[in-house]
Amino acid sequence: MDFRFDIIVEYFPFFMEGMGLTILMSVVGVLMGCILGFFIALGKMSPILIVRLPFVWYINFLRGTPLLVQLFLFHYAALPAILGSTTPVISVMVTLSLNSSAYVAEIFRAGLQSIDKGQAEAAHSLGMNKFQVMRHVLLPQAFKRSIPPLGNEFIVLLKDSSLGAMIAAQDILYWGRAASGQYLRVWEPYLMVALIYLVLTLSLTYLLNYLERRLDVK
Amino acid sequence: MISVKHLKKSFGDLEVLKDINVDIKQKEVVVVIGPSGSGKSTFLRCLNLIESVTDGTVTIDGEELTDKKVDINKLRAEVGMVFQQFNLFPHKSVLENITLPIVTVKKWSKQDAEKKAKDLLQKVGLLDKANVYPESLSGGQKQRVAIARALGMEPKVMLFDEPTSALDPEMVGEVLGVMKQLAEEGMTMVVVTHEMGFAKEVGDRVIFMDEGYVVEENEPKQLFDNPQHERTKAFLSKVL
Repeated sequence: MDFRFDIIVEYFPFFMEGMGLTILMSVVGVLMGCILGFFIALGKMSPILIVRLPFVWYINFLRGTPLLVQLFLFHYAALPAILGSTTPVISVMVTLSLNSSAYVAEIFRAGLQSIDKGQAEAAHSLGMNKFQVMRHVLLPQAFKRSIPPLGNEFIVLLKDSSLGAMIAAQDILYWGRAASGQYLRVWEPYLMVALIYLVLTLSLTYLLNYLERRLDVK
Repeated sequence: MISVKHLKKSFGDLEVLKDINVDIKQKEVVVVIGPSGSGKSTFLRCLNLIESVTDGTVTIDGEELTDKKVDINKLRAEVGMVFQQFNLFPHKSVLENITLPIVTVKKWSKQDAEKKAKDLLQKVGLLDKANVYPESLSGGQKQRVAIARALGMEPKVMLFDEPTSALDPEMVGEVLGVMKQLAEEGMTMVVVTHEMGFAKEVGDRVIFMDEGYVVEENEPKQLFDNPQHERTKAFLSKVL
């Protein structure tokens, strides 16, 4: 079997462009996911049922339906209805942000609830109010414990961003499909696509391991 | 100083405190003893509302904790508490453990808080540990830091919830020593403990609790040497 490196060479600049977009969409997704997820976690921990319920169902919906279905729903229905129009990249970013916010919320909630009850009791016994206890005692400890699962979430998100190719966001997989369509070859483009994703996820894994060591996460 | 009237506390169907009436005077050291499950820790935790009160009133220095209108955070700042499991903040250094509440609650400047914290560390003999993290301390050292942290708020009363129960035997003495020193300085203290020696030596009054009631209270010598109730006798015969 001959292996046509010339296809990979020809498409290489496009793959690099696609990689840039994949990284951008994933970073936006995980950052927005963290910010939204934090508030959703707080909402879901509310002692008042009527406050808690919308957050519970937000998480149920986003974790309980396929990401591809969510992407179609936002790209073809929700975002055009709300914004008037949308682009594939915006749709992917919105979908990834909302989807990851549900998972991140559960990560933060687990982190907060894993902190020993005595910590909050001691802080309250010193006269600190709820906000101060959260800000100075619970969150710093919970955040540190959340770093390893957040890293996993980032890696999953990076791979899932490839679904963007289904609505023609010009990410890595999009250019693989384009190359495959032009030359009617399947091995070269898709192996290349897989290789780029692998390089990205392995780099991220090493980066996260380094970060965990630096922050002394146990 | 502290007045507890008809205090009741239930966890669901389980009634832990059934009708507690206790008065504690200023500068008094009250030691609470009793078998496990007698409600003595719950009683202590009701004194700063770490545990909510089901019924009855708790008044400290003329202010009723159980009054819904009262600023509970302000009152808690005036009641220091030391826990069995220390509950130091592991992400803060020893010094920061003490300064955090002084800065956030009392609104002191960082410099003043650090000066205060260092004075307190000196007092409990741990000034050289100011910049280490709690994980590198022994149990006895952790508990002494926890006492210093509570003292940083300049409380009117100190509550001790089995402060030596989680310690190796050879470290019990250093913690009791700090507590004894506090008592001599005139701190009002309520101590839940199994250290009968401490109760005898330092306590002004001993309260024996069983099954959610105060069964008997008296001066340590009277209570230990001449208990009036059968349950007190039975308990003391097991622990002395």
